[in-house]
Amino acid sequence: MTDMPGPVSRLRYPLGWRVMDALERGAGILWPRALHRLTGWLLIAPALLLVAVLCLGLWRIAQGSLHVLDRATFLPAEAYTLENYRTVLDSATYLKIVWRSLSGAFLTVVFTLLLAFPYAYMLVRTPSPFVRKALLAVLFLPFFIGQVVRAYGWLIILGNSGVVNDALGLVGVTPMRLLFSFPTVVFGLVQYMLPFAVLLLAPALTAIPRETEIAAGSLGANWLQVLWHVTLPMARPGLVGAGLVVATLALTDFAMPAMLGGGSQDFIANAVYDQFFRTADQGLGSALALVLVALGSVLVGAVFAAFGAGTLAMGGKR
Amino acid sequence: MKIHDTGVSRRAILRAGAAAGGTALLGTLPATRLWAQEPQKPAELIVRAWGGEWVEALKRGVSDPFTKATGIAIRHDLTEDNEIQPKVWAAVAQNRVPPIHINWDTTTNATKSALRGVTEDLSDLSNLAGTSELSKPVGLDGYPIVNTYGYVYVLAYRPEAFPDGPPKSWKDLLDPRFKGRIALYNDGIGFHFPAQLAGGGTLADIPANMEPCWEFCRKIKEQSPLLGEDPDFTAWFQNDEIDAACTISTNALAAKRNGVPIAWTVPAEGCKFDTDGLWIPKGLPENELYWAKQYINFAITPEAQQVWLDGLGLPGVVPGLTPPEGLAGDPSYPTKPEDFEHLIRVSAKVQVENESDWFARFKEIMQG
Repeated sequence: MTDMPGPVSRLRYPLGWRVMDALERGAGILWPRALHRLTGWLLIAPALLLVAVLCLGLWRIAQGSLHVLDRATFLPAEAYTLENYRTVLDSATYLKIVWRSLSGAFLTVVFTLLLAFPYAYMLVRTPSPFVRKALLAVLFLPFFIGQVVRAYGWLIILGNSGVVNDALGLVGVTPMRLLFSFPTVVFGLVQYMLPFAVLLLAPALTAIPRETEIAAGSLGANWLQVLWHVTLPMARPGLVGAGLVVATLALTDFAMPAMLGGGSQDFIANAVYDQFFRTADQGLGSALALVLVALGSVLVGAVFAAFGAGTLAMGGKR
Repeated sequence: MKIHDTGVSRRAILRAGAAAGGTALLGTLPATRLWAQEPQKPAELIVRAWGGEWVEALKRGVSDPFTKATGIAIRHDLTEDNEIQPKVWAAVAQNRVPPIHINWDTTTNATKSALRGVTEDLSDLSNLAGTSELSKPVGLDGYPIVNTYGYVYVLAYRPEAFPDGPPKSWKDLLDPRFKGRIALYNDGIGFHFPAQLAGGGTLADIPANMEPCWEFCRKIKEQSPLLGEDPDFTAWFQNDEIDAACTISTNALAAKRNGVPIAWTVPAEGCKFDTDGLWIPKGLPENELYWAKQYINFAITPEAQQVWLDGLGLPGVVPGLTPPEGLAGDPSYPTKPEDFEHLIRVSAKVQVENESDWFARFKEIMQG
């Protein structure tokens, strides 16, 4: 008679294994093996659902943009019309606002990349862990503070009675208006976007082998030539990715123009807000919102076509 | 008072309401006796309000005494009036319970909601009998809104910037020394009508011909004005960013009470006079609607008005209120017929129908 394996032998399997077995059986019931080829779709289903909800919202906005406001009832008129789009196109104000948004986004990208590149380069190349941590801390401390709070910070710092004017007063300079202008809005946007740009640039710079730069130097290139002919071209995916993210965020920004612009430097998002919430004209607000979506999409499409998707392509084909 | 297309006489505005029975005080009667047979009380009512000094005054004058009398807690929702509007409209359109019970709103904004049909009728409030005609919204049937006080968009200024005395005309703001030192609301509200007169136009031309207004706005634009909202004005005065602003007198008063050196005046062309009110969105359960109405009914008692409007420094809709200290005879606190002579009132209907165009035109000039 042989010894039969009793209950004790089952304990050879750790508890964790048995839990996992149970979970696998449960998953097999919920998601049979025959459906395994669809597992990938299952995993991206939540993301697809989110996109579908966004598309549905966009569709409703598009529908809303085709009705003018009936001011006798403050309800959208029943008739379908392109009148709201005509209003946008015929308005010198809106065209000015569109132009200001585009130029503001462009300048923000230029200045942000100019500042972010050396910062990210130093972050990646420094041999000192202390310096790297210090750079990260300096970069991320303002990142944890909301955009509105940061804008208020600039109101305090740059105001007529602010820190900067106080400092200027010490050397005999009379207080000057530093706030409520287009340059101030761009300044605020650059400061806000800097961490985003550094975060997107750093991986691209990390991927450039230091030996490549050393090799260029050993062949006689000075640092400027190395930067221009080696580092910048190899960092292009990072620059494109960072530029795109900064451009789209700046183009659609609301808080900085509202708070640092003194009411006269509106971007498109501010105009959309005015129509939705100030004049209750949701049709016109919807038309402006779609113009903003179209501008952003065209901008991104043009950059993709000209330079590829950069780091946003995640290593895939252009 | 310059009244344009309102159908309301100065005398009528100031006439005392009758029916003393309607002014019975909620706060002086025991809650259990007063509402022994009333519908079930909700745990709380949500009242949308403006923040800062505005909500503090409402709390002292209306909300706290109402809670004391009824046991119903009042939650103040500080969502901006313009932002709550589409939420309420959407809730009513979708047959949902609205996000607030009572909306403290400008009469112009509230009129839009009334025209859209999302407001409950408040004609059955007993205390309306004790109010002046100012409480009645002009151009609307019944009481979809109850106006609760009036206010003036004064010309507030820093006395040290005007050493020769208060500005006598809105045109004084065109002095080059005020370049970059004046402020207006970012949609121009409160400024359009005096600008119409300062630009050489007449009130009778509103809304058909507002070109004098826009011409004056273009001149003001050359002065690089700052454009903002209520809280901005106090901050700008406090931080020495501006010397003068067209703002509601309450904001100027709040700044003064906070130690900011500020005064205000009604220039020769006059100032816009308008009203705010309370209304209830449709879609509330019956018992909550009942208690929301009681809240508004209480807000128009003399006792509630006295404390609430002492805080705001504004004239109410109940006759016989005592002006807050220092405001008796002040141009921002009109009570007598002669006080209204330099104030401009345009009907909510005209404003509602044309406001979007005026805002757009003002923006067009100021965004240049």
